[in-house]
Amino acid sequence: MSRIVVVTSGKGGVGKTTTSAAFSTGLAMRGYKTAVIDFDVGLRNLDLIMGCERRVVYDFVNVINNEATLNQALIRDKHVENLYVLPASQTRDKDALTPEGVGRVMDELHELGFDFIVCDSPAGIERGAHMAMYYADDAVVVTNPEVSSVRDSDRILGLLQSKTHRAKQGETVREHLLITRYSPARVQSGEMLSMEDILEILAVPLIGVIPESQSVLQASNSGAPVILDKASDAGQAYDDFVRRFLGETVPHRFLEVEKKGFFKKLFG
Amino acid sequence: MSGELIEIKGEMTLISVLRLASAEIELIRQGVQNKRDSVPQLFANSPLVVDCSQLGDGCAALDMVRLRATILDLGFIPVGIRNITDTCVEAAIQAGWAVLRAGRATGASVRVERSVSEEKADADVPTTVMTSVKVIDRPLRSGQQVYFPEGSLVILQHTSAGSEILAGGSVHVYGSLRGRVLAGIGGDTSARIFCQKLEAELVAIAGHYRLLDDIDTNLKGSPAMVWLEGEKLKIAPMF
Ligand SMILES: Nc1ncnc2c1ncn2[C@@H]1O[C@H](COP(=O)(O)OP(=O)(O)OP(=O)(O)O)[C@@H](O)[C@H]1O
Ligand SMILES: [Mg+2]
Repeated sequence: MSRIVVVTSGKGGVGKTTTSAAFSTGLAMRGYKTAVIDFDVGLRNLDLIMGCERRVVYDFVNVINNEATLNQALIRDKHVENLYVLPASQTRDKDALTPEGVGRVMDELHELGFDFIVCDSPAGIERGAHMAMYYADDAVVVTNPEVSSVRDSDRILGLLQSKTHRAKQGETVREHLLITRYSPARVQSGEMLSMEDILEILAVPLIGVIPESQSVLQASNSGAPVILDKASDAGQAYDDFVRRFLGETVPHRFLEVEKKGFFKKLFG
Repeated sequence: MSGELIEIKGEMTLISVLRLASAEIELIRQGVQNKRDSVPQLFANSPLVVDCSQLGDGCAALDMVRLRATILDLGFIPVGIRNITDTCVEAAIQAGWAVLRAGRATGASVRVERSVSEEKADADVPTTVMTSVKVIDRPLRSGQQVYFPEGSLVILQHTSAGSEILAGGSVHVYGSLRGRVLAGIGGDTSARIFCQKLEAELVAIAGHYRLLDDIDTNLKGSPAMVWLEGEKLKIAPMF
């Protein structure tokens, strides 16, 4: 079976789409045939971050409504092999997503031999978010180090274990916590929650911590997922996260305030 | 019309019930506000259960989000909503309401409440002994509720801020208790609350409640027990 992973958060703007792009790229780089689906019907963001916005002809809703085949709608990624993007529609509304329609697309992706299906969830806890998580085997819950984001993640964790297909079969969705936009300096000064605080509240296994980084904005402006920027801290942190997801043991990095080196101390 | 629009009644000792006769939010606001302003010291910050039995299918017209916001705005704590039609349940949950089910028979909750007032009138009436136990082995997350009027609840993990536990008997939480917890909801004054780490928002036993915002800070974060002594809710460390 294809493994279906939802990237979700409750709160908006925490880094779901950034994560979905990096995650799917990282899986494909390791040879897994991967599809990444934009569930944010009406907003369409993923194609921009993946740099394929000019090649969108058909979208997810077209496939659900049988207006296009899956093969017509899937966009082959230009950066890595094995990666395909299924963009969201910008003109339809979220009611176009139904459990049957989404389920059929998942089945077809499975028949096409995909190893992973990454679902980029919209913010909120309504239909779009519900449909994105519905068939998930795994959930990457994206949280920023602030109280409202943590609270929303908690809410999402509750829905994952009650409103999904797996929950209805009496099974559980595997939970993974990904903390993004982490700024050790602001944690130290008490402006942000620490990783420990977040784990204490949510009690979910931590799969990665992505630092707040300039490189994320640069990456999205250039339409290349940040994981491809191998020199950047965020790119490396995303790569660690993908390795952990695939079962490797990788120590966490970027958790401490960077000590200024001798030369930096001298020159600024 | 606005005279019989709402009726606030202290059914359980301290939890008031708001019976809606209209789904019009502005009318509800007016009614509740008038009531509150008539006895402000009685209603300030008090838990409120909304009952929609008189609305029937009119429930569908009720804006759950605004209803909750309005009640909070007026200084009440919206504990839960009940007797709503099945089609409204989802909207209520989405809006953050705890949907209180009245058991199999719709009259059940009414019966339970009546037994509370009977008990008040005649203290010798023996409370029913509840032997049934329900065990929850997952964390109780924000927005989730467990409702178990038949007996005691044991939570093997933590409960989150914004979650809600309602049990007929006692409640045991083998982790941090951060949400709201109401034990003895049917009036069992011998019910108790035990937890590994007390960080609850609200604790209540048989309708006597306390907001944890304004209690001794040294108890917060430690193992604690909550019980009722006469009319007074007691909270003490366990070890
Ligand atoms: N690690 C990071 N460092 C700095 N900026 C970041 C980081 N992660 C995300 N951002 C920025 O945060 C903003 C929101 O990111 P993104 O679009 O991925 O969030 P989202 O959760 O998908 O939002 P939405 O809920 O609207 O779908 C973007 O401007 C992005 O560049
Ligand atoms: Mg997004």
